[in-house]
Amino acid sequence: MTIDELEQLLVQQPVAVLHRLARGRVHRHFRAGKRRLIEMILQHSSQNLAGLESDVQALIAERQSQPQPPQPPARPAGRAAASPPRRPAHRGGEPESAEAAVSLAVWLEGIGVPAPQPFVPDPWQEEALAALDETDVVVSVPTGSGKTYVAVEAAKRAIAHNQTVIYTSPLKALSNTKYTEFSKIFGPDKVGILTGDRQENGQAPLLIMTTEILRNLLYDAASGEIDIRLDTLGLVILDESQYIADPERGVVWEETIIFCPSQAKLLLLSASIGNPQDIADWLTSIRPTTCRLVRHSKRTVPLRAGYLHPNGKLVPLFKTAAIPSGHAGHLHPEAKRLFFEYEEETLPSGRPRR
Amino acid sequence: MPPSIHPVDLIASLRQKHLTPAIVFLTSRRACDEAMESFDHADIVLPPVRQDAIAAALERVIAQYPSVAEHPLIPTVQRIGVAAHHAGHLPSWKIAIEELMRQGCLDAVFATTTLAAGVDFPARTVVITQSSIRKSRDFTDLTIGEVQQIAGRAGRRGKDQVGFAVVTPSPYIDLGVLTKGFTGHPESIDSQFSISYPMVLNLLKAHPHEQIQAILAKSFAQFQLNQRAELLERKLDGLHVQMEPFGPRVCTDWISQWQTFDQVRRQRPQRHQIRRHESPELSARFHFMTPGRVVGLARGRGIVLRQYRSKGQKNPMISVLRLDGAVTECPASNVGDIFDRIFECDETPAFPWCSAAAFDELSYQLTELPTRLPTLPIMVPKDSEVLPDAIVQSLGDFPCPSCPSRPACQKDFATALRLRQEQHRHTKSIQALRASLWHRFQERVEVLQKFGYLTPSAHLTDEGEWARLIRIDHSLLITEMIRAEAFTGADPSLLTGVMASITHDDDRPGSFPRISPGLSSLLGQVRKLAESLSPYEDPPLLRADVAALAERWIADPTLTWIGLCRLTTMAEGDIYRLLARTLEFLSQIHTLRATHPGLAETASRAIALIRRGVLEELP
Ligand SMILES: Nc1ncnc2c1ncn2[C@@H]1O[C@H](COP(=O)(O)OP(=O)(O)O)[C@@H](O)[C@H]1O
Repeated sequence: MTIDELEQLLVQQPVAVLHRLARGRVHRHFRAGKRRLIEMILQHSSQNLAGLESDVQALIAERQSQPQPPQPPARPAGRAAASPPRRPAHRGGEPESAEAAVSLAVWLEGIGVPAPQPFVPDPWQEEALAALDETDVVVSVPTGSGKTYVAVEAAKRAIAHNQTVIYTSPLKALSNTKYTEFSKIFGPDKVGILTGDRQENGQAPLLIMTTEILRNLLYDAASGEIDIRLDTLGLVILDESQYIADPERGVVWEETIIFCPSQAKLLLLSASIGNPQDIADWLTSIRPTTCRLVRHSKRTVPLRAGYLHPNGKLVPLFKTAAIPSGHAGHLHPEAKRLFFEYEEETLPSGRPRR
Repeated sequence: MPPSIHPVDLIASLRQKHLTPAIVFLTSRRACDEAMESFDHADIVLPPVRQDAIAAALERVIAQYPSVAEHPLIPTVQRIGVAAHHAGHLPSWKIAIEELMRQGCLDAVFATTTLAAGVDFPARTVVITQSSIRKSRDFTDLTIGEVQQIAGRAGRRGKDQVGFAVVTPSPYIDLGVLTKGFTGHPESIDSQFSISYPMVLNLLKAHPHEQIQAILAKSFAQFQLNQRAELLERKLDGLHVQMEPFGPRVCTDWISQWQTFDQVRRQRPQRHQIRRHESPELSARFHFMTPGRVVGLARGRGIVLRQYRSKGQKNPMISVLRLDGAVTECPASNVGDIFDRIFECDETPAFPWCSAAAFDELSYQLTELPTRLPTLPIMVPKDSEVLPDAIVQSLGDFPCPSCPSRPACQKDFATALRLRQEQHRHTKSIQALRASLWHRFQERVEVLQKFGYLTPSAHLTDEGEWARLIRIDHSLLITEMIRAEAFTGADPSLLTGVMASITHDDDRPGSFPRISPGLSSLLGQVRKLAESLSPYEDPPLLRADVAALAERWIADPTLTWIGLCRLTTMAEGDIYRLLARTLEFLSQIHTLRATHPGLAETASRAIALIRRGVLEELP
């Protein structure tokens, strides 16, 4: 889709959709009018139109799967905000719930193992790898999407160019798992692991360590005591980089990124976060090349939410089989009833319902 | 009705609906262990084929990690096809369970939500039983990002067509938090940049002092501070335009002129005199408590609706909109945090101090605030801007009464003053945002100079040269101990004991072995030092019982892992982590071999002694 077509598509969308698109992309979007909003969204995603397009399509698909009119957010009514939100009884007759809630059978449909398929990289994976040839890349995709494939492929390509690759994870336990996993993929002599007091295969082209260890290496390199081949360093992969927001340890990710040698590419792999564009913009502002953001929010394996009552009864949690994005209130009437019952029975009397 | 579903029934339900394999996230390790125990009397037995598959898979793990072989839960896991996975277990056992899960040998794993990030294996289904997790001491609601991280484990690519996240209630669950988590958009993340002593030393080792500001400016922290500053700059531009009609008149600074004149005319006592008892900090902060500002009070947060001074004492006061919709009056000194979040607030002169629409909007915004908000960095001016009384009093005659501009000044004064104050406020905020990291850096530099790690010109002293290699928590305490020669003559077990007590930050009680008199007196010394350093660095817990446990492991090389575990009620996973962290600290001390060869040698011996048994298994 060209930028003009994308703009046309955006113009046709209700403002609510645009605001949802703008979240994480545009600062203070809720103050902007429709025209301005579209302008800002396009401007912010100019580097990643494909990502924007897929998000738009996902939102459109989602709206089509729920024909109900969009509900205004449930605002507490003015000064009466103190009283608990009332369960509107009149809704019974409205078209919204006249449409039948999904049955358990439909909710469970499709459960099972898919037919085996040849491995074809996803477009976002290709996009991230292609971009990495030129510049730093930030990937923000849902858990389980296949970030490891990007890490492995990127490492393979760098190693083929005789470069050293460093892969960091936030936890020692994860480092160990990756060490085993990567040793199987690359061959044991190609993978090393560094901890505070030990090096195993420290000369291997792919080195695994925690982010703290890399930060220390970079400090040593900055003060002239190099004990790693930083000059051949071609790629630094920071897995789980949403850890940058960790209250205690987040600073280590910042230090590592600030001191990462400029000739090495940075690949930040992150679970879905609200403002990946900020991270990409930040990298662009301090690194030699314009950082590319690759993001999408659609889960590869669709997710359904259910409610299991303590008596063993299982019901869908939402009215629809799929999770109704943006509509936390679209509960399945059965789930609602059972949970209400549960709360009535388990809450000590007098405790205010939350 | 039971407060939550029985684990055996839960697994049975999941199996019956083909929702296995599943990860069941429970509130605590204890809950996980109890869930496992509840299978003791259940007559669930896996078919032999599956039991064999588990045995075979475990065999392969044991070849690499022999400690797994002795695990008491193996028979249970094999019989029921369900396991627990939490921080109380040894890493090798967790690896074994992960491997079993990956190979599809298990139907379910009970895990704790706290470590959702460490649970690196997917399943068809995740079961969620709570909506909050314990962070330090408090329970906090799961964020949208956290709910999605947990739910994200459901649905394995290539193995499942669909994934399922099943909520089953337990007391105190808030379904709203979870439904919002499932359907919402993950929160934005914010920088948590902090400046530590080792960071300062390492930066100054590699870069001259004058370059540091530019390096700090490269942080994500500064990037986000700049974003906020730019926003204010745009507002400032707007104010500039609004101020245009109020430029110089007969007097250049007619606003101040009129203000003083007005005060004198009304023969009001100087406001400044009354404010004298106010701390400059409170005055500086009061400046920012303007209508629409989000503030933190002892009990939750609120939005400021109006700012005023009390009638008698002229104390700074605010009217605050609270979460329950109430409007309360509150002295400005009670405000804890001033957040960097301000909403538009259509002010009115009477209760509730803003228009009904604004009131509704603010009440709504208050409920929608994210749990974490950045606070506003506020710089306290060294010299306050109070006019000296002498000057004010001597300005007896003003040109104002007969000035041609008087009607205009009188008419415009209120608006112009408000705009100008707003300009000042924004300008100050912008300065604070731009300079706050540098200020924090300078504060650290001053401390390091005081202790002699840096010269007055901010170069590393000889002490600073080696101290920068200690890049762990409580670095100041550790380097000061080394300088006080607290470890001279200490053997590896004493050094290990002290390091263990510094690393351990958990205050859960338990029973532990007795401490040796030598370690006990050394710890006393460390405690005193830590206390004296408390203005500069938070002291660690320094638990003697934990120290004693680590000491034992080193002092008695014949002690087996099982023997060590028997000496304490601490979970073996915790003991492992304690020793692994201690190892990390010791290896930092080992890097001091050039300047402190004796100490480094002791550390190196301690490292060799720690690394045995299960501590040998993983790199
Ligand atoms: N393009 C693809 N097609 C099919 N399966 C894929 C693809 N990419 C990754 N996978 C599989 O998806 C699963 C999850 O990948 P992983 O990298 O662990 O996810 P995460 O994004 O959470 O790191 C793995 O089993 C992986 O083999």
